[in-house]
Amino acid sequence: MFRNKKIIYGAVVAILLIVTFVVPPSFSSRGKHLVCDGVAPMERTASSLGQRISGAGMALRGFGGLAERNRDLSLELVRVQTKLSQLRDIEADNARLRRAFEFREATPHYMIPCNVISRNISGWWHSVRIGKGLTEGIRKNHAVISPDGLVGKTKEVSQHTSEVLLVCDPACKISAKIKRGNIFGLLHGAGTDLRGRPIARLDFIDKDLEIKKGDEVVTSGLTNDDGVSPKGVHIGYVIKAEKDASGLYQYAEVAPSATVSLLDYVFVVTRKNREVKP
Amino acid sequence: MMTPLLFVGGFLLAALVQLYLPCWPIFGGIKPPVLLSLVLYHALKGSPKTTIWAVAFAVLLQDGLDLNRFGPALLGFPTVALLAHRIQSRIFVDLLLTQMIFGALSAFVAMSVAIVVYTLTGQRPFSFSQNMLRLIGSLVLGMGTFPALMWFSNCVTTVRINKRRRRWL
Repeated sequence: MFRNKKIIYGAVVAILLIVTFVVPPSFSSRGKHLVCDGVAPMERTASSLGQRISGAGMALRGFGGLAERNRDLSLELVRVQTKLSQLRDIEADNARLRRAFEFREATPHYMIPCNVISRNISGWWHSVRIGKGLTEGIRKNHAVISPDGLVGKTKEVSQHTSEVLLVCDPACKISAKIKRGNIFGLLHGAGTDLRGRPIARLDFIDKDLEIKKGDEVVTSGLTNDDGVSPKGVHIGYVIKAEKDASGLYQYAEVAPSATVSLLDYVFVVTRKNREVKP
Repeated sequence: MMTPLLFVGGFLLAALVQLYLPCWPIFGGIKPPVLLSLVLYHALKGSPKTTIWAVAFAVLLQDGLDLNRFGPALLGFPTVALLAHRIQSRIFVDLLLTQMIFGALSAFVAMSVAIVVYTLTGQRPFSFSQNMLRLIGSLVLGMGTFPALMWFSNCVTTVRINKRRRRWL
């Protein structure tokens, strides 16, 4: 009996270790998506309850209907900002076109407004969950923006929810550039400081180029095959620039402008030709 | 006696509370361990069967709702539950000091396991200072969360007993 118990314990420990260290992530992702979709209605209810409470609070203070108007204006602001950055790019492209023959029209992007329904459960990741997923046309590696700029990109997408990895998470890597001088680099998160302010780092910048504190950092528009990232979306400003440890490159510390709080709404940039009402 | 509905509802509520609680950078950015505290509660007060179910639910919610693959809670929670269940009969759980010590120790053990899993699997970059902050933070947060959960469960139990008493009268 005692020996049987030992064998059972050993088998359980072996299974747990195999699941943790051997089984590939894709194997468990289906189960995780089921859990996410299962809990999503509860998260949505809690989120909408929170919104109603905050809305009621605003109404009591004489700001009734402000939340809805603010949401509409935010959507409009993001549309206008994207349009403006597109127009600026078009202007720059026109100048280049005079000297070039070929021009490829930029792929139009569409935005899906989404509510933030919860934060990360453990605090190990800088991420938020939004209330829309595969059904609404969202896929992995789609850029997520807010009126303040780039928020992050989608990491895990289930049927009805998506996990958004924020710009300040070390696993979030985005191709970016410093607007002044078109200086390209790879942006990745560097967590937060002790005051909770997000930090990102722009790596692999040519060591001979000049970077100034306060330079604006925007997305370069370069992505892998399945990703969607519009060109020229504001990310933040340079707060520090230093030489890389190898001496071959320099890096810049960036303060991302967009911060996401609970009950907020963000916009997922997608190629799909449709926009969904929030 | 806890009904299955109350049992499952308790875990869903705990997950929801943990999702919506803020995280403080001073504690390494980690959240108060509400689900782990619930596992500890069942391990210290429940039967082996209840403890196993509690671990299964908590692991499913903690790792399932997180961005990492199954692992940190899958190894950490059973370790805590096993250790706590073994000394269940030897301690007086209703004492505040015991609750604080057990809450802190369990959070510390679970955090240590999570750090090892994240580092070995390469899911998170290893940072000594950040991990030290997380370990200290887990001690403090565990010390606060478990007594709070015990107080809440005592309140629920009292309400249920009073309800039953009224029915009898």
